[in-house]
Amino acid sequence: MINRSEIGGIPVLHTPTTGPLHAGLVFRVGQVDEPLARRGVTHLIEHLALHSFGAADHHYNAATGAEFTWFHMRGTEAEVVAFLNGVCAALRNLPEQRLAAEKEILRTEGNSRDTGPGEALALWRHGAESYGSVAYPEWGLADLTIDDLRSWTARYFNRQNAALWIAGAGVPAGLDLDLPDGDRQPVPPVSSALPVRPAWFPGGADLVAWDTVVPRGAPALVFAGVLERVLFRSLRQEGGLSYTVRADVSARADGTAVITALADSLPEKQGAVLGAFVDVLAAMRLGVIDEADVAAVVKNRADEITGAGSLPGEVFNLLTGQRVRTTAEEIQAELRAVGRDDVVAVAAVAVAEGLLMTPGRTRADWAGYAEAPAGSDAAVDGRVHAALGYRPDGATLTVAADGVTLTRGDDLATVRFDSCAAVLAWPDGARRLIGHDGIQVHAEPTLFADGPAVTAAIDTAVDPGARVTMPAREPESIPVPQRRPGLLTRVRWAYIRNRRLTWAVLNGLGAVALGVFGCYAIGSVLFGDETWNVLGGGFFAVLISAAWLGSVRRRFRELMRD
Amino acid sequence: MLPPMLLDPAAAYPKVAVLRAALDSGDWPACRETLDGAEPVERTCLTTVAAETEGITDFLRGVLSGDPSDGAAGALLGRHLAGSGDFTAAERVLVDAAARSPLDPAIWTVRLRTARGLRLGPSEARRRYDRLAEIDRHHVPGQSQYLRYLGGHDPDAAYDFARTAAAEATPGSLSPVLVAEYHIDRHIAAGHLDDATVHTELDEAADRSVHHPDYRHTHGWVRVTSTFAMAYALIGDDRAAAGLFGALGDHHSAQPWDLLGDPATVISRYRKRATGGEQ
Repeated sequence: MINRSEIGGIPVLHTPTTGPLHAGLVFRVGQVDEPLARRGVTHLIEHLALHSFGAADHHYNAATGAEFTWFHMRGTEAEVVAFLNGVCAALRNLPEQRLAAEKEILRTEGNSRDTGPGEALALWRHGAESYGSVAYPEWGLADLTIDDLRSWTARYFNRQNAALWIAGAGVPAGLDLDLPDGDRQPVPPVSSALPVRPAWFPGGADLVAWDTVVPRGAPALVFAGVLERVLFRSLRQEGGLSYTVRADVSARADGTAVITALADSLPEKQGAVLGAFVDVLAAMRLGVIDEADVAAVVKNRADEITGAGSLPGEVFNLLTGQRVRTTAEEIQAELRAVGRDDVVAVAAVAVAEGLLMTPGRTRADWAGYAEAPAGSDAAVDGRVHAALGYRPDGATLTVAADGVTLTRGDDLATVRFDSCAAVLAWPDGARRLIGHDGIQVHAEPTLFADGPAVTAAIDTAVDPGARVTMPAREPESIPVPQRRPGLLTRVRWAYIRNRRLTWAVLNGLGAVALGVFGCYAIGSVLFGDETWNVLGGGFFAVLISAAWLGSVRRRFRELMRD
Repeated sequence: MLPPMLLDPAAAYPKVAVLRAALDSGDWPACRETLDGAEPVERTCLTTVAAETEGITDFLRGVLSGDPSDGAAGALLGRHLAGSGDFTAAERVLVDAAARSPLDPAIWTVRLRTARGLRLGPSEARRRYDRLAEIDRHHVPGQSQYLRYLGGHDPDAAYDFARTAAAEATPGSLSPVLVAEYHIDRHIAAGHLDDATVHTELDEAADRSVHHPDYRHTHGWVRVTSTFAMAYALIGDDRAAAGLFGALGDHHSAQPWDLLGDPATVISRYRKRATGGEQ
């Protein structure tokens, strides 16, 4: 049972429980709100707000998520009141003297953080903005000033953009949650970098991952459970191909839910894990779904629902204008109302909207998935800077008034200045532009003719707000043009690349030469004045040549088969 | 005067002609009647008829859109599209067919063909074969497809697969032909048949198959007998080849003789050599 109340205009959801008090203050702000060049600003503020609670003997914590940031604590009434009031005080007045130190801590945290398949899927699905931002490092840390942080807290950490949940005997007295007034901030629109779906992109060697976006609700929850069961059965129990098989759901503020599924793989089993995964998705899409699986998932999920378990989730709903459910029975009833047909309907949408991360060098075009764009369709029209030194790919960098294009062979990467999410700027002149679609152009001025002009043109054209200052590089890590390798080296490379073909061709030439020699010998006996024993030698040479040619032909045929 | 040569499988298996006629006239109930009444191996072999029949794509697509769960239509359409070299289109059909009819051996057999055509990796081909083997451990048309896949990737694995499948097969069945297929394949690729072990292995396989008292003329027997005859002919065992040519009578199979050129010409040449021109 959830009771609704208010403290100084901040909505409160309270569930009566026994034991220590547990409370959380939630703000509708997260990584999706951060422009790429300010990535990390929310996380930095979260750290600064917690700084005054240095001692580790309290059960408190905080987290910055994609859409929400929250601070929570478990303890006595007095401890919880002191913590939450303290967080609000720190947010009102950020400890400026801690700025540099917390930036360092975050940089260290960022370095040790593993990015999982969720980040890769988000990047390929959404590009370098909104829900794709989560995939990028906290590039904003370097340039953020205390004023940047203050304007961010004014916009997002205000009374109208906050909500509180409490699990415990009652709402404690003394909570004043003193925050400035402001506005409720809507979640930014969802960006898409996938023109065609279902789509695929290549990922790491040891994993097949997949995600999709469906309308949120109980059917989506049940579908994810069914998918996990079927994947587990097919990939682990029957096929013995995977060890970890999982499917998760996370709700989004815009009324959708993201379902993510993954199955791990040994490097030598990649193809089979992908194949089995694709087959399971096809069965889901076609509605080949067992009634018993649906019933089992509904029962498990309904049993999991306990009194206070969904409390933070309901606060998220409250902050984003979604319906707030106030009893466990209400949620259980929604789940129990889900039938096989509802799951079939969600499954069809889910697979059609899917994005598949294939392991290693496997592809998924054969299964009807479109290749997600890894480059750009068009180049800009401007000044072409040729690569300096030896570049077998013949790279060029084109700089125009509206953007830059890096061309390597047939591959194009274009970033237009008006859709540039961030430009990383190194003191030595190197620039990396990241487009909203996630496409990157890395420009090293040392590697292209008139490189400094490239740097200057980019710096003039790009919005200063998108600029990210990068630390100076060691001189030895600044690239220099490659010297053209000697003729001998190039011949050796060509030979290594085509060893078998080279041998087959050389053999073929040898066999033909021997045949010609034989014919010449025979001819010079018949039509010339050579002695008869030359005729024997000639025939012998032709015979050997024929046998030799036969073996060359077989060798070619084997080459063709591979 | 040599006897006539019956290369058309319809000569040995009347159902082939029935299915062909039903496909040509667009009579789906008749197609189903033929396929549904067939033994599993016979049914899978019959789907190859669709690979050689032209202009049936629309007909089969129409059948599938009427009843998407018709596994027989999925297998035939997949086989037909694969036969015309469009493996991507074939696989699209087969992914759905396998999802709806996961226990149809004909579908998994064609999916082994598309795995080769689409150059999917060995673990995926293995998975497909395992799915087939769960349904039927000795499904010779599927075993044959998987052997050809392995032959192109890993001759050692192909050799092991052929020997194991032959050893595990029921005596007098068709599966030991995989050993002959393997050796013919290696002969075409690398010319290694002149070898005493090859001869011994062929004899062992033939003893468990064409030379076994329980060997019956079930669907596929012509191709199996013909394959053994070709293997013996290629290693120069004319006596054994002649015996098998005798057992075949007028029946012959174009495969695998077509590996050596026009089947009719090649077969009559080798038959003449083996039988000393008596036939």
